[in-house]
Amino acid sequence: MFYLPNIVLVVVLALLGIGIYCILISRNLIKIVVGLQIAVKGAFLALVLAGKLASQIDVGQSIALTVIVADTIVAVVALALAVQIRRKFGTLDVHALMSLRR
Amino acid sequence: MDAGRALLLLLLIPFAASPVIYLTGRLSVLRQGTGLWLARWFTLIVYLGMGLPLYTLGRYVLELGPVDLKIGRIVLQMDGLGLFLAVTVWLLSTLVTIFSFPYIRGEEDEEKYYALLPALSATMIGLGCTRDLFNLWVWFEAMAITSYLLVAFYHHQKGALEATVKYLVQSAVGSIMILHGISLVFARTMTLDLQEIPPLMADSGLFGLAAGALFVVGFGVKIALAPLHTWLPDAHSRAPSGISAMLSGVVIESGLVALLRALGTLSQASPAWGALLLGFGAINILIGNLMALRQEEVKRMLAYSSVAQVGYMLLGFGVAMSYGIADGAEGGFYHLFNHALMKGLAFLAVGAFLYALYITKGSHAPLMVSDLDGASKKYPLTAFALSIALLALGGLPPLAGFVSKWQIFVAGAEVRSTPLLWLIIFAGLNSVLSLGYYAPLINRMYRNQPSEVVQAGQPIAVLISLPLLILTLAIVAIGFFPGWMVPLNASAASSLLMAFGFR
Amino acid sequence: MTAGILLLTIFLPWAGALFVWLVGNDRPRLQHSLAVGFSVAGGVAGLALLALGSPDEMVVLSIGGAFGNFSFRPDGLGVFLATIATVIGSLAVIFSVDYMRHEAQLGRYYALVLFFIGSMSGLVLTGNLFLMFAFWEMTALCSYALISFYNDDPKAVAGGIKALVMTQLGGIGLLIGAILSYSYLGTVEINVLLDKAELLPSNVLGIMAFGFLIAAAAKSAQFPFQTWLPDAMEAPTPVSALIHAATMVNAGVYLLARFYPAFAGVPGWQEAVMVVGMLSALLAGLMALVATDLKRVLAYSTVSQLGYMVYAVGAGGVFASQFHLFSHAIFKALLFLGAGAVIHSAGTRDMREMGGLGKQMPFVRTVFVIGALALAGIPVLNGFWSKELVLEAGLQGGATWMFGVMLFTAGLTALYTFRCVWMVFWGEPHHPAHLHDAGPAMKTALAPLAFGTLFSWLLAGSFSHLLEKTLPYHDIHAVSLVEILEEVIFAPATWIALGVVALGVLTWVFRDSLRLWQEVFAGIGQTARQSFGFEWLNQAVVRTTIQVAEDLRNLHTGVLNWNVLAIALTLLVVVVILALGA
Repeated sequence: MFYLPNIVLVVVLALLGIGIYCILISRNLIKIVVGLQIAVKGAFLALVLAGKLASQIDVGQSIALTVIVADTIVAVVALALAVQIRRKFGTLDVHALMSLRR
Repeated sequence: MDAGRALLLLLLIPFAASPVIYLTGRLSVLRQGTGLWLARWFTLIVYLGMGLPLYTLGRYVLELGPVDLKIGRIVLQMDGLGLFLAVTVWLLSTLVTIFSFPYIRGEEDEEKYYALLPALSATMIGLGCTRDLFNLWVWFEAMAITSYLLVAFYHHQKGALEATVKYLVQSAVGSIMILHGISLVFARTMTLDLQEIPPLMADSGLFGLAAGALFVVGFGVKIALAPLHTWLPDAHSRAPSGISAMLSGVVIESGLVALLRALGTLSQASPAWGALLLGFGAINILIGNLMALRQEEVKRMLAYSSVAQVGYMLLGFGVAMSYGIADGAEGGFYHLFNHALMKGLAFLAVGAFLYALYITKGSHAPLMVSDLDGASKKYPLTAFALSIALLALGGLPPLAGFVSKWQIFVAGAEVRSTPLLWLIIFAGLNSVLSLGYYAPLINRMYRNQPSEVVQAGQPIAVLISLPLLILTLAIVAIGFFPGWMVPLNASAASSLLMAFGFR
Repeated sequence: MTAGILLLTIFLPWAGALFVWLVGNDRPRLQHSLAVGFSVAGGVAGLALLALGSPDEMVVLSIGGAFGNFSFRPDGLGVFLATIATVIGSLAVIFSVDYMRHEAQLGRYYALVLFFIGSMSGLVLTGNLFLMFAFWEMTALCSYALISFYNDDPKAVAGGIKALVMTQLGGIGLLIGAILSYSYLGTVEINVLLDKAELLPSNVLGIMAFGFLIAAAAKSAQFPFQTWLPDAMEAPTPVSALIHAATMVNAGVYLLARFYPAFAGVPGWQEAVMVVGMLSALLAGLMALVATDLKRVLAYSTVSQLGYMVYAVGAGGVFASQFHLFSHAIFKALLFLGAGAVIHSAGTRDMREMGGLGKQMPFVRTVFVIGALALAGIPVLNGFWSKELVLEAGLQGGATWMFGVMLFTAGLTALYTFRCVWMVFWGEPHHPAHLHDAGPAMKTALAPLAFGTLFSWLLAGSFSHLLEKTLPYHDIHAVSLVEILEEVIFAPATWIALGVVALGVLTWVFRDSLRLWQEVFAGIGQTARQSFGFEWLNQAVVRTTIQVAEDLRNLHTGVLNWNVLAIALTLLVVVVILALGA
């Protein structure tokens, strides 16, 4: 039960769930980006765990590092967009971003 | 030229050129000079320069088989599928580059556009050549990030920002799902090599199913599987027209190729993938067509039509994956290629109208359907090109779309099962439905009374007309000589069928 | 040699289309001459092809796989229709020189007409189902584009899209048949399908047979797809004459005749074909009786006459149906072009605003009456002979009650034809201005058609020889002209039919003394005016689709949270489906 991979698995699922939940309920763009980040953290852990289970922890780690890099770029772009949106729309509420619909 | 070196060059040229283009452009902007032409033409030269290695690779792959390239621990392999994607991407990007010369001229950050375009193409070419599940994700993510930046090119426009944020968040959620899928596969098989995984995933039970579901939905966001398509009409309609063409013509299709590669690893885990794609295909066709039916904004309508067209590709691939029917895969790839031409042409032609009617006047207003009234009188070539693109999308002969749809339908019949026959009838009915929005648009363009916007329109630059002309001729030529593309499609199809264990 | 001329009938018009389009609308005179030149050259090639009929296949382009070989075959069925398409096509183009003078966008008009002529030749000459389907859709495309030629008129646009959608719906039937042929026989060659039809599983053959029937019905505006043809009358009149009377609408009949040997054995197919033909003939005849728009009357009568041909194919009378097709193409083109001349100078299509035009337009009146007499089935015009052959084939191959209905329709035809001629050329003049007779180009086009209407039946013997010689699967026996004439003259059915026709004529002559009957038929007339409810059905389908599309758009809320929720839910659904499947 308290075998390490199981604990990590629980944490992975929890992070993923919390992240997605955060994206679903937040109206603030920054919070949505934070939610994304939380969910991605789950993915890091999952990859490392997979590396461990595959007895190739080095591969798992290097993959996770690559993901961190890629994810940082995404976060940077997202936050830059958030800055622009704050400037143009005067708010970060995603419900204000509804000009494109139907 | 050695084939391995050609592959290296094909990827290296655009990646190396990208910063150079940016620096040349940036320097000329800083000096307030007129040196931006250098960046523009350099981009075009880069694409033309990629033509030679691509040609070498094409001959090699079609005649002798896959090309391998080893860089450190990373192995790249260009097989039929990779070649197919590379050709499609290269063709469309080159034309989009030419188109963009006048279209983007004078916009702020023009040099960034030209720097990002080759990078976007390179990520897609790389995506087709990967042999490693995780590398697939890296290329995929790199493609996504590049495309975010390009969609947000008009970053002073509220709409562009809104569209990019929606695109980014949804795409990122999908990408997280893919990562989880990769973890599952990796944990189970202890390898990431696309060709080693399949036998190890046999009898993997829930592992395989869960990984597959994560892949389908994760990549599905990028492919715009309904109902994951909501980002697509927004992003397509707010991006610069050249980028709309790229997004619709090759980016979402690259996502599809990535999904096919990823599902290939799970081919022995479950027989259900083909059926799943068939189901999504049917939903996509219906939702895409119905949503497009009443759109008032031209680019948005075309975007929804892409959702529907992806559905046709899915039908072809689904049949191939479930039943190993070569015509399904060939038809699917044929439609993918034709869609790049047709939707590329449609978006570029709409872009030409936008250029003549709005952009030359400093406006970034969207092109409404009613703006096109009587456009043919003033812009005969552009109106004709758009008509050809729309009719081809509607699947009318003698145009490209007809040919590939035919092959997909033939593949469906080859299964000899009643449900699939109904599916074909359903797809056929939807093709008819799609004419319900293509045809009125054409009728509008050929009215005698031009709209006020058209009357006040500016002339269209030659460099915009040139890609339109090339694409129009290509679409007609394929309609008359469907055999031209068969070798390329067949080799892509055999890669796919091999991955699913049918060859 | 033969192959070259065969391809000329397709590519001469196509080349003309390209040139006329490239010339541009700034030089209308050159456009007119180019169009006439190329279409007449195509017509000459078509006539030459008539002498070269053979059952041999000519492969032009070998592609293989799902596309088959691009092959053509100049057999009897094909060359006759190709000749009709190119010759009547060139006459329609000549007519257009007067009719379309001073119109805008001439290039588009001529390019599409010429493209249509070539495609129609291709459709009937090809020996490959893929190509046939392609040409089939090309003709539909031209038809759509020409119906909505006057794009500023919403009625024209609606009519064009309606025609396109309905023929495409039917096209799915052809598509299904063709791909099933590839699936089960491994080929899209038409003759292989005719040869090996018995080897197919019976249910597959049944699907193909009825798929083709649906396609034919949609293309030939037969029941229940008849509603698009009247709305197609928004097209310029030469187009109506060419596409919606003489050629494209015949493609359905051609399709049935072409594949008759393969499907004749399918249980219920022949009966279904006959019923479709009969219902179309009857309903359209009734609608023609109450219509007041000159072109619509002719359109309904086209549907009705096509019904005769379909009925004949169903009864096994392939020769009779093709012969009637031939006659009908000539006299209906004549009638339409004559109507075009009237409309061009009167400026209206409403027959109630015409009347007494005969004195002012003597030439048009003469040729129109010739056409009308042929349509009504009065001896010795071409329509008489072919209609009698159709009726006889029906009597031999089908139920007697159907024959009765067709007889009744023959009377109906005579009635509405006389009504139409009377309303336009005789009776009270309702048009104040002086009208000019047909122009020189119009006369050039009308005269050969009138001549053909009078004498084309003389070709019946050689036509049947050609069919026997070149159609290995159809089991047609050649008969000489004299035999055909004897057969028609000495058959009792002919005299009954003539009696009924006479009755129809008399009904019109004594219409004032038949008030009582008019009251009785008033109800039928009312429903006929509303297309027996089919128009309502079409509109209901369109309305529903649009409503669904509008409602669906509300699902695109534009709220990011909802979009992400859709992703999460889709994942859930996919997992559940996969788990249930496994």
